[in-house]
Amino acid sequence: MNRRTFLSLAAAASVAGLLPTSALAAPGEPKRIAVVCTIWKYLSHAQHIGDRFLVGYPHAGVWRKPNMKIVSLYVDQRPEGDQSEARAKEFGFKVYPTIAETLRCGGDKLACDAVLVIGEHGEYPDNDLGQKLYPRYEFFKECVKVFEADGRSVPVYNDKNLSYSFEKAKEMVADSKRLSFPVLAGSSLPVTWRLPDIELPLGCEIEDALMVGVGGSDAMDYHALEAMQCMIERRKGGETGIKKVEMIEGDAVWKAGEKGRWSKDLLVSALSRSDSPLGLTVEDGRTQDLVGTGELYKLVKNPAAYFIEHNDGLKTTLLMVNGAVRDYLFSSRVKGMAGLQATQFFLSPTPNVTYSACLVNGIERMFETGVAPYPVERTLIVSGALEACLKAKKQGSALETPYLKVVYKAPAESSYCRA
Amino acid sequence: MLTRRQVLAAALPLALQTPLRAQQRPKIACVSTVFFKYSHTQHFVDRFLEGYGWNGTHHKPPMDLVSLYVNQVGESDLSADRGRRHPSMKIYPTIAEALTLGGSKLAVDGVLLIGEHGRYERNEKRQTKYPRYEFFQEIVKVFRSSGRTVPLFNDKHLSWNWEWAKQMYDTSREMGFPFMAGSSLPVTWRTPSVEMPLGSKIREALSVAYGGVDSYDFHALETIQCMVERRAGGESGVKWVKAYRGDNFWKAYDDGIWSHKLMNAALSRSHTLTPSREGFNNDFPTLEAMKRLVQRPVAYQYEHADGLKCTMLLMQGLVEDFNFAADIDGHSAPFSTQMYLPMPPGRTTLANFFSPLVNNIEKMFLTGKETYPLERTLLTTGLTAAGVESLYREEARYDTPHLAIKYKPTRDSHFWRT
Repeated sequence: MNRRTFLSLAAAASVAGLLPTSALAAPGEPKRIAVVCTIWKYLSHAQHIGDRFLVGYPHAGVWRKPNMKIVSLYVDQRPEGDQSEARAKEFGFKVYPTIAETLRCGGDKLACDAVLVIGEHGEYPDNDLGQKLYPRYEFFKECVKVFEADGRSVPVYNDKNLSYSFEKAKEMVADSKRLSFPVLAGSSLPVTWRLPDIELPLGCEIEDALMVGVGGSDAMDYHALEAMQCMIERRKGGETGIKKVEMIEGDAVWKAGEKGRWSKDLLVSALSRSDSPLGLTVEDGRTQDLVGTGELYKLVKNPAAYFIEHNDGLKTTLLMVNGAVRDYLFSSRVKGMAGLQATQFFLSPTPNVTYSACLVNGIERMFETGVAPYPVERTLIVSGALEACLKAKKQGSALETPYLKVVYKAPAESSYCRA
Repeated sequence: MLTRRQVLAAALPLALQTPLRAQQRPKIACVSTVFFKYSHTQHFVDRFLEGYGWNGTHHKPPMDLVSLYVNQVGESDLSADRGRRHPSMKIYPTIAEALTLGGSKLAVDGVLLIGEHGRYERNEKRQTKYPRYEFFQEIVKVFRSSGRTVPLFNDKHLSWNWEWAKQMYDTSREMGFPFMAGSSLPVTWRTPSVEMPLGSKIREALSVAYGGVDSYDFHALETIQCMVERRAGGESGVKWVKAYRGDNFWKAYDDGIWSHKLMNAALSRSHTLTPSREGFNNDFPTLEAMKRLVQRPVAYQYEHADGLKCTMLLMQGLVEDFNFAADIDGHSAPFSTQMYLPMPPGRTTLANFFSPLVNNIEKMFLTGKETYPLERTLLTTGLTAAGVESLYREEARYDTPHLAIKYKPTRDSHFWRT
């Protein structure tokens, strides 16, 4: 959807009695942003995303200062190191005790032009699938309540997956459609630099795709699945939804590889993009073909494989290989293209984490234009895929997922950092 | 100064180079100063022995590293271990034996000269006297006595001593053997992955980098040179170099000796900008913050024969990467990028910026053709020495008529993008 169709849809929605998405700030005036987050402390997502709206961020070779200002903040928890009050004081905004007050800046009507919902980090319980119950859905619903009550809606960015629960995530997306406000969601992986800078051609025929990730579940597997999704959604016919998933762990992962359930060639290829093989490289600096030498199998104590079967027949695999490497790597076999199409999603060093500047630029664009640079359905399907995989793991067998019929087309334009 | 073509034509009658015997895996010798974990020798040698990630697969070079000479073997040495694990690679006590494989004639098809790291004296100008020139002479001695030459790669600048570097260059041209040199900076990843359009009209260029004099200054100069050599008219040589350091660096900044806009553009390409305030992870430093954060700033500014002014800025303490920016005719915004080095051990475990360098070397070993011009490294070698000289002469402008090095870039610069 381009800006024009969006605007006309918004106008139609307004006529139909739905909520208009409109800006409060006059043209040229800084857009007013409300931040709703779990915690704000050094290196929390709220801090490094939020600060970019306060102090600017590197983009396309300039230090970009968005024509936007944070006007209000809600923090759900104030752990040690909390920066919320200090930031509010320095940058002239207020911390409010509720989400509704934050969106209304203490008044009686919605008083912002956009909302950042950052429900990452903080102390929250886990469910029986091992998912951390971040209150993103609850935060989002509070925003929706204000939009409905005040008869106006504004663009919302939701950090990372929409919710641990697909049902909740689906409802969030449905709310945004019903009230016709744009939502952008997801993490930095799809938008960061790629090494090399490759984009699969729109409409290509993907024969096989494999993602390598590291870190814990359910935080880091989400990132890996999302990175893979931003590549495969460009295939012929677009995304068709997911019909079946399975997740296995331990030696069964290697056995599945031996049986050809996932491609060893693709694993070698993905690992060839790694800058951080562990084991012997850490010992004496040597380069390694981890698969060829068999070191991989010694290094990874508890591998996990996430098998995802899409409605159009595409089968993809995520391998979590903690102990072998530290990067996020993708490889694919594309019909008609020579060799394998493989890349690393570059997670630039801490503390700058410049990859989040790539993300903030996408958020800024949506806040400015009212059009999300890439579809929220990407985040929706990945939210659902992850939950389904964890359910499949728990029940110990494949899970049919007819409900994951999330159908969408990738934008023609690349939305990752390449300029 | 002869053009490259004239040099090559003149060299032809003297050429002793033997084409590679068809269908045979080339044999390669490596002549190095020292071999420890994360030394340059280790990065190069292991890529030949173990392979490396390239073009989306684990690539094994189609050649055999058969001999190794190491000048200094200390406690942290890994050469013995590599010799044991790869018996096809023999370690020899002399450079001549490494090249002749213990016989009387040159017995390899390519030579790596890795004279970086190791304990070597410094001179009064604080230049480390790495024995690259001495190693080169030993190698050439074997070429001469064998009546045959093979392609040679020299890691980093040719020599700390300009006269010696020039002699190395001249010798290779006279004898007509392919010779490549330099560092990874011109060939590593770039974020973003952009190439300076060939024939650009460049008004000014600079790099913002880190590290110290007579080491990372060379990398920062290579960062600039691999880009500006693509300008309209090609490389014309350099007329003078002037260094600034400490307070003079900041005075030069205040005086607008280099473009603030370009410096800010380069800084905006950094992935490692030191936060200037506690509690912020990525802010843009004020001038006061820069002065506080940067330790021992150094600038080399120099003017090319065609009038282009370039500036290399070492801002240790503020960044830990190599960033480039240029002002180009017809573009309102600076052209900028970062030459990205996945640097171990902090960020990565593998110094994969050596992979594109090794890949270019492989191509030279296989085809006998240099993939980018040696003149680039000759010029950056001279610029490094001239910067050091200016610093030694209390930052006086140092005229460089000897750097009237003219050359044309290759159409493809062979930086890493596949």
